[in-house]
Amino acid sequence: MPSISQPTGERRPRALVIDRAWRGLGPGLEPLSGPGGAPLTRTVKLIVLPLIVRPALRPELAADFLEPAQAARLDGLVRDSGARLTATAQWFTLLKKARRALGIVAGNPQDLYFQRCFELATEHGAPAADADVTARDVVEEVADTPGGRTVDALKNHLADAARRLRLDGDLATGWAHRPPATSDAASTATLAAHAAEALDACGAPGPADGAPSYTAMVEAGHGALFGRALWADTPGVWGRDDLPTHLGLTGRRTPPRPEVGRGASTATLPAPLDRTLFERLFVVLQSSAHRDELPTVPELVARETGRSCAPLGLYDESLRVAVVLGGRLAAGLDPLGTGGTTGRTAAHRVVNSRWQREASVLRARRMTVSPHPDPDGGGVLDALAQDLRTPWAAYMRRLWVRLHGRDVRDAPLPDLASAWTVLDGVARSVMMDHRARVRSALRTLSTGTAPAVGAAGTRSA
Amino acid sequence: MAGAGVEVRVARGGDGTVRVVPVGEPAPVERDFTRAVLEVAGAVLTWPVPDDSVGLPSAEIDDPGRAQQWLWVVYGEGVAAAVHDCADTDTGPTGVRVTAHPTALTGGSARLALGHWAARWWPASYPDGIPTLEPALLGLELAALTHHCQQLFDGDEGDDRASELIVEHQEALDPLIRWWRGEAQQTHTARHLESVLRLIDDAADTAGLDGPALRELRTSLYRQGPTGGPPTAPATLFTHPDRAYALAAGEQLGAGGRLIARGHGTNDWRRYPPGFVDAAEDAVAWTARALGARRRIEVEVVAHSTAPLAGAQLVAEVHVNGGDPHRVPLTRQNDLWTGRRELAPELLAGVPTPHIEVGVLLPGFDPAPGTPEDAAGTRAAREAVRALVRRRLTTAATEHSAHDGSPHDTPSAPFLAETAAAVTDEDY
Repeated sequence: MPSISQPTGERRPRALVIDRAWRGLGPGLEPLSGPGGAPLTRTVKLIVLPLIVRPALRPELAADFLEPAQAARLDGLVRDSGARLTATAQWFTLLKKARRALGIVAGNPQDLYFQRCFELATEHGAPAADADVTARDVVEEVADTPGGRTVDALKNHLADAARRLRLDGDLATGWAHRPPATSDAASTATLAAHAAEALDACGAPGPADGAPSYTAMVEAGHGALFGRALWADTPGVWGRDDLPTHLGLTGRRTPPRPEVGRGASTATLPAPLDRTLFERLFVVLQSSAHRDELPTVPELVARETGRSCAPLGLYDESLRVAVVLGGRLAAGLDPLGTGGTTGRTAAHRVVNSRWQREASVLRARRMTVSPHPDPDGGGVLDALAQDLRTPWAAYMRRLWVRLHGRDVRDAPLPDLASAWTVLDGVARSVMMDHRARVRSALRTLSTGTAPAVGAAGTRSA
Repeated sequence: MAGAGVEVRVARGGDGTVRVVPVGEPAPVERDFTRAVLEVAGAVLTWPVPDDSVGLPSAEIDDPGRAQQWLWVVYGEGVAAAVHDCADTDTGPTGVRVTAHPTALTGGSARLALGHWAARWWPASYPDGIPTLEPALLGLELAALTHHCQQLFDGDEGDDRASELIVEHQEALDPLIRWWRGEAQQTHTARHLESVLRLIDDAADTAGLDGPALRELRTSLYRQGPTGGPPTAPATLFTHPDRAYALAAGEQLGAGGRLIARGHGTNDWRRYPPGFVDAAEDAVAWTARALGARRRIEVEVVAHSTAPLAGAQLVAEVHVNGGDPHRVPLTRQNDLWTGRRELAPELLAGVPTPHIEVGVLLPGFDPAPGTPEDAAGTRAAREAVRALVRRRLTTAATEHSAHDGSPHDTPSAPFLAETAAAVTDEDY
């Protein structure tokens, strides 16, 4: 137990104030607490902050450190919620029991049920005698995809021969009437410069305010311009001769006309802009988050037909500009710390320094991948080393998927700060992917068996 | 267990990261196997390894906002506030000295980091008499410790892997339960076992994991007390076929010819993954021969007891008189990796005693050897690591080595895998 004495009248860490208030509530909160009695990290993130403290309504409680008055206010808010939190904990236990009885294993119960439990506690108080039924209903409801937005529904929808024929016609027409491809190297050359300016305002400590270049890029349609340049394979966009203009967004010289498609597997997905309609929507549907925000399957398909013929396969211009920023960032990624790439921005310094920290962690965990091409070549590790030498491909692939998901959900990136959150998050994910692959490759080598399928297993339809 | 105050220096780096470094700590250790690291919310924590006393970590914080969830517990409020201030580039100071107040979680995080270190660098060796640690047993305890230290994580960083570790190693749950049931109640080991099992059960329940092994665990824990099975030596629970060494020499490589020179190469642990090569200092041996006009080098490397029989392409790297490297592919033969290769005769000509250096590595993994000047220091560091694990095994073999408080907060307390190895080492 931390025993920290601090003179009164000083600001305190918000996390400590929450911890103290939580422990002060007494027993009955174990299902929402960690082994030491502190609230689970997700309890804080999914219940205490958004549903009790609600910093959006109380900006004075949004800070990491609180003055005594604010700390007292937060403490009061948590203490006043004691009964509701105890009831929330009881509902959570019931829902976990119902989930087990129903044999459901997908998803993390904290992510799935915390908010629902708090709502149930607010509405019903502690679970009553018939609460088992309610718990079962809630678990089943959460497990059911809202409105049939499933890969199966997509498969059925696209199984109809007449419909496929019509969609194929729509794709042909849409592709033929695209905005013109551009091979005007002079105008595309300015893209990277604008992007660098925006990136220099990212990631720097402190708020990224006063970023006219991002807004200007969106207004000027620089994202669409890049998409059109891609159709013509216009060279010289990134200012480096060794990088293809498409940065791995297509496996060909230029993106092909999208096909309708009838199946997909996460293990064999082609480069983003080479994907079929089916593959693009499969990725959207099989990622569990935000499924209830999606349009219905027929609507999804109809809109994807037009979207896949739009520049960069995206409708929203702010998302396309994010592709340009991401491309400029990806062109300067340096996971090996060679320092050889040009035109670093503040965003590059942040991402590359984190990447090198990651490399240092991997060395300390005896999970290295030699950056140098092996004289004898081949092997699973060599493929990983190749990825480290061309980090932009994995980066752009993940970035596109994330932006596409936002486009489908109508969630543009209104300002540079929100764009940076996505760009930075993608960099993190690419690093985590790499580590998972190194771990899996080393396990394969040291057991002489096929790689074990981990949490991120392959999915197909 | 609020520790006495320790001075730390909090400083902001050029890339926006904030570092916390205990004052008086020697300069950061750069050898990969002498650092225990832990990737937590918004930061990487590092401890020097040959020292397993609680100790404050150094922290490299790339997201000071996220790190606020644990900074106050690991270092105390003063350090949390200093990090907050230093992170502000407009008005904050670039560096301050402040007193840290470690807590139980400081010890818990150090133990978790040390466990991850042991999973990768434990210097198991037949000639050195250092037994291997059962990976699944260590993996399950690391899952328990991760859950124990849940305040450090927020689900978006490398070491928040309790669920993954439980799923990966769940086949070891049954022997772990049997060990616990067979232990006399009230022994230190029984309490340790029960505590680990309860943490795993809680972690699995909280994360929604399910399956036969986890249901069996739950049933066992709610059936009171560990008594319920015959006393079971952990040695019989975690047996692996073909573990014992057949010390018979492999195929006689060096038949005939005239001996030119022989010696031991360098066994640099950093150049191959764990579980391939015996960690002993002299595990790599070479012989140079003359066969008529031909010149040949033969390499023998003592294999790790769990080394894969197929699939891995371990090679020896041979330098003659400081020249370019020659690779010798190695194959597994019983307890040895062996290989040989013809060398150009002129390589060995002209010098009465050729200077031959031999290393062993896995291509594609090898981060390239350290600088030659570094060799003596690295050798000493390996020796310090062996001394550390010998000391830990001695402690683990002594049941009355009870320590105060939770074993989960004490890095020097034995891991269950160490306890099992220490009482199993009659094989060695």
